Amino acid sequence: MATDITTDALESPVGEINKYDFRTETTGIFKARKGVDAEVVNQISDIKNEPDWMRKFRLDSLEIFNSKPMPKWGGDIAIDFQDIFYYLKPTDGQGHTWDDVPAEIKDTFERLGIPEAERKYLSGVKAQFESEVVYGSLQEDLAKKGVLFTDTDTAVREHPELLREYFGKVIAPDDNKFAALNSAVWSGGSFIYIPKGVKIDFPLQAYFRINAESMGQFERTLIIVDEGAQVHYVEGCTAPMYTTESLHSAVVEVICKKGSRCRYSTIQNWANNIYNLVTKRALAYRDATMEWVDGNLGSHLTMKYPAVYMMEPGARGEILSIAFSGKGQHQDTGAKLVHCAPNTTGQIVSKSISKDGGRGSYRGLVKVEEGATGSKSSVVCDALILDPQSRSDTYPYIEIAEPDVSIGHEASVSRIGEEQLFYLMSRGLSESEASTMIVNGFIEPLVKELPMEYAVELNRLIELQMEGSVG
Amino acid sequence: MAEFVRVASVDAIADPGKSVFEVDDQVVVVFHVDGQFSCLDDVCTHDDGPLGEGRLEGCTIACPRHGAKFDIRTGAALTMPATRATVCHEVKVEDGAVWVRLRS
Amino acid sequence: MGVTAVTDTAKFNASALDELIAKRQEPAWLVDLRRAAFETFCEKAMPSRKEEEWMRTDIRTFHLDKFDLPAELTEIPADLPSGLLTEGVDLGGRLVSYNSRTVSSELSEELKAQGVIFGSFSEVLASHPEIVRKHFAHAVDPHFDKFSAMHAAFFTTGQVLYVPRGVVVKKPLHALSLLGAGGVDLGHTLVILDEGAEATMLNETASIDESAPGLHCGAIELFVHPRARLRYINLQNWGHGVWHFAHQKGIVERDAHIQWTIGALGSKLSKVNQHVALAGVGAESEVNGVMFTEGRQHLSYHTLQHHEAPNCRSNFLYKTALQDRSRTVWRGMIKVDKDAQKTDGYQRNDNLLLTEHCRADSIPGLEIEADDVRCTHGATIGRVDEEQIFYAQCRGFTRKEAIRAIVIGFFQQVFDRIPVESVREALGKAIAVRVRDYE
Repeated sequence: MATDITTDALESPVGEINKYDFRTETTGIFKARKGVDAEVVNQISDIKNEPDWMRKFRLDSLEIFNSKPMPKWGGDIAIDFQDIFYYLKPTDGQGHTWDDVPAEIKDTFERLGIPEAERKYLSGVKAQFESEVVYGSLQEDLAKKGVLFTDTDTAVREHPELLREYFGKVIAPDDNKFAALNSAVWSGGSFIYIPKGVKIDFPLQAYFRINAESMGQFERTLIIVDEGAQVHYVEGCTAPMYTTESLHSAVVEVICKKGSRCRYSTIQNWANNIYNLVTKRALAYRDATMEWVDGNLGSHLTMKYPAVYMMEPGARGEILSIAFSGKGQHQDTGAKLVHCAPNTTGQIVSKSISKDGGRGSYRGLVKVEEGATGSKSSVVCDALILDPQSRSDTYPYIEIAEPDVSIGHEASVSRIGEEQLFYLMSRGLSESEASTMIVNGFIEPLVKELPMEYAVELNRLIELQMEGSVG
Repeated sequence: MAEFVRVASVDAIADPGKSVFEVDDQVVVVFHVDGQFSCLDDVCTHDDGPLGEGRLEGCTIACPRHGAKFDIRTGAALTMPATRATVCHEVKVEDGAVWVRLRS
Repeated sequence: MGVTAVTDTAKFNASALDELIAKRQEPAWLVDLRRAAFETFCEKAMPSRKEEEWMRTDIRTFHLDKFDLPAELTEIPADLPSGLLTEGVDLGGRLVSYNSRTVSSELSEELKAQGVIFGSFSEVLASHPEIVRKHFAHAVDPHFDKFSAMHAAFFTTGQVLYVPRGVVVKKPLHALSLLGAGGVDLGHTLVILDEGAEATMLNETASIDESAPGLHCGAIELFVHPRARLRYINLQNWGHGVWHFAHQKGIVERDAHIQWTIGALGSKLSKVNQHVALAGVGAESEVNGVMFTEGRQHLSYHTLQHHEAPNCRSNFLYKTALQDRSRTVWRGMIKVDKDAQKTDGYQRNDNLLLTEHCRADSIPGLEIEADDVRCTHGATIGRVDEEQIFYAQCRGFTRKEAIRAIVIGFFQQVFDRIPVESVREALGKAIAVRVRDYE
């Protein structure tokens, strides 16, 4: 199947066919080899034609992965590491045809109103010719401003010094077992560099990267926002992501230099068999602002705690997180704010909904180091439990070593207020419609921060999730 | 001002090597690298990890919990996720033994 | 002072246990319990920082082999302190122990006549064995960790309070545990309020020497039967050289009420698990905590409000002030079981950092499995507001007086919840004395 050449490929531009041919040649070696060891890691590096330093980085990371124990906290991770494919080229596994995509997924696309071109991209079907036309001009525009926006593999080859200066410096392979795994087998992800003073006023989205290896299991993203620059990056989409492999472990590193501003939005809606274990961290320097907007709707288990380290005075971190845990799901998500310098500020707002036996856990950290005088942070966590089968947890950690601060944390857990429901129902809404409206209101602070098309899709998705939840 | 306390004989710590000791109710790590001795608090400033149980590479020690690296000679934090130095104590070699004086 | 390698050879060994058992002549059920606990004690290693519970509390410089089992008292030191909580209070009973041995035990005739029992563990075990047997170790699990096991195997003295059905004890009862230099206290506190009973118990600890080493490994078990009401005040005021490990648990039954006040001022290092189980429908608990740390103290309190039954309320407020290089770790959890519908749970922790170099860790937690609940928690951390100090100084306060007033003001919310005036005053004074001049 991997060696089939689909009609899609034949219509692609010349550059793409060359790449495709190259991949076809090597597919034979790689087929059906599960598990991760030095041989697999070396093969990945071979296929990507990487410089020695990256190969060594991968191999060192593999050792670290093998030496670290599984975390004793968080969700239940029942993974047989040797039973997984760690590298799937875009035309294997993910390179199925549109016919292969399950009916429920296609159906959801329909109901969410996802544009045609995006549907195919999102299902891992190779990028269409139309996509290139649509987004090609955008790429030119960015290039004129000196913006680099490509996939990380390409960046290793084409921007080695810049990449190497920052790669692995925010999140070292040692950080945790899954960062080590990602560091060993990463593939795909975005590399973005915004030069000094450049402000991008529209969101950059993953599928602009027409030469991308789409929907990697082990994406590695690195974003560098230089002094005074500004960017909004959007990862993923509300549509259910369909892949064959059940372990996804991404690493996202962001550096916000002096006076810069970066927002990173994600709506994750992986299918319900997926373990989604992600490490995301940003360093914000003097007067820089980093915002994470993190929506978690899918997957069987997600463990993800976007972090902002405020490294220099005036830095700011904001994290807006929503998690929806339905049947058979556990969202163990949250945020981390670390104040390392004076006069830094932070805010975390977390909204969590559990229904049909799902489990939503907020896990977060606010840390103020000694000397970070004048730091201010507030955390607000609200959780809705929609039925007696479901569960909600809050595990906030607050560690303060500096007296001259103002730190507050509040959390509450409840169900939908009866008065609210009654009020809406007395105006003609069914209980289900009323509940949906209340839930939408509950997550509104996050939704309004998203680009409009995502906001619309997210609201529709919540409707779908809420269907059949009452009674 | 604290006193110097005898910790071990010079031969007791391999070169390169490290060893954990209790001095005046505190736990510290003494390093022996390239003929030099140095001493740090046995605490990683990132998350209170046991620095003394970490990997010694040249003049750096990596905390086993999340990999933060410190300079064994000064206690300076070299990599994320640590951002602050750990305490570095005074060391002297006298009469064939290593002595430590705690700094607060 | 000096260097020691980190090893452990305890005097708390099998022959010491045999000796203790032989001397005490206790019923078989208790002997069996001690032996089983001793096995656990031997099996379990000293807790290490690799365990979640101990990650923030490093006890590697704690050496059990430096402490002896409590010995028989050959003489009682003169001028034993009488504690902070009893000034001007008309008590119904008094118990004093020194280094794990009971020194005096008094109970008013009036209360005796009502059937109230208040005495040392050995006394009550002898006079009312069935009451002890029915409750002992039913709240705090001896096999929980090395410390609870050590306690259950080697405890000698303790305090037992039993109040019969419907009896309302108006006068507070006071128990004081004292430690001498190098002393060891393994006391066990057992409080049982039968249905509809009411009582107030003041439990205090103190050291003769402010800085000498000592060890306290204790347990407190509070049984509040249906419709009973218990006010329990625990003032931990050990000297700064004492290692303090304790497991404390209260079980509150149907429509019963507990009000539990903790003052934590002393010890070199405290690791205390405080747990309230709301086990019967309509049970209520109110917990008040006041902590003030200084020097190099390290106080770690893990609290749990466990809603096992529906329609229960728990309300929890801990306030901490820190200075010098001290450190506090507060982990609080509200846990609501699936069946505990209509739970009302509230938890709050406020921290005031008075100087640089201290550190407060606040970890409130929620684990909720029922949906018809209202659970909230909050935590704040900050410092004394300079503006407030300036304002007070404008009114003629010195800087130190101003800060003292502000610190007392910080604790006022908790003080207001303490029903016993002598306790409020004693805590207020104890804290005021600790406040110094800060830059």
